[in-house]
Amino acid sequence: MPFRKDKRAVIAAFTHGPGNSVLVDLRAPEARLLADLFGDLLELLAEEGAARPGAGPVDPLAAQLGLDGLGDDTPAARPDDPALARLFPDAYPDDPDATAEFRRYTQPDLTTERRRRATVALESLERIKGGGRLSLIAAEAAAWLGALNDLRLVLGTRLEITADEQDPGEGFGPNDPRTAYVPVYYYLGYLQETLVEALAG
Amino acid sequence: MTSAPVEVDRPDVEGEQETAEQTDRPWSTIVWNDPINLMSYVTYVFESYFGYPRTKAHKLMLDVHHRGKAVVAHGSREEMERDVSAMHAYGLWATLQRA
Repeated sequence: MPFRKDKRAVIAAFTHGPGNSVLVDLRAPEARLLADLFGDLLELLAEEGAARPGAGPVDPLAAQLGLDGLGDDTPAARPDDPALARLFPDAYPDDPDATAEFRRYTQPDLTTERRRRATVALESLERIKGGGRLSLIAAEAAAWLGALNDLRLVLGTRLEITADEQDPGEGFGPNDPRTAYVPVYYYLGYLQETLVEALAG
Repeated sequence: MTSAPVEVDRPDVEGEQETAEQTDRPWSTIVWNDPINLMSYVTYVFESYFGYPRTKAHKLMLDVHHRGKAVVAHGSREEMERDVSAMHAYGLWATLQRA
């Protein structure tokens, strides 16, 4: 885990609100950036749902009843996309069959939960379109925490962060488009840190 | 089939006992270090999900960070699968294995 960076007066920070609420002041560009990122995350998770082995044409009623995928004996495979693989890691280090079985039973619900959290975060941002103070109730704050962490996992994987104390993007070539996301990665880390503090009390 | 000397087959009493012990043996949930998750967040997860007091949660987090991994829970296989699933939902890298 990376050590916490110096707390300079950067940009947005979560604070305690009345009761169990948390507050954050977001300027319009920040709110837009976060909305874009949560939207990207939702798209990534939608791909995961579609790419599941054995996922044939979706029967909407079956999906609603949670019956899709039952009776599907296709072993579940680890996602090819490294960012998705990081979101859905192997559970049994030495047992590929048990891992596949675990994945088959848990990955759909976990995907749904991740989508739910990102959607809660995205929809809450609608309340401060154009920037402003966002107040989140406890349940929304918990969703933000999970969604922010998912963003960092995906971004961190895309930035090929593999070691503590590594400088993200250090090895990138001069035209690597990922370089633009290095400051975003730091920004999200700071934002999440303040949310953890606000929640942990 | 080889032409090696044939061993006499005794009833495998010891083997059966070992199997019985194995099915009762507890499983463990392991959390692995990763370079993305915040230390404060990992500590928070251990407090929130397992209900560990802050000092224990903090110590476990430091074990993960410095030693590369830590055992965070023991229990039946089903219980550990539940814990691992929860850890994955929090974005931690967790696995389960026999204790």
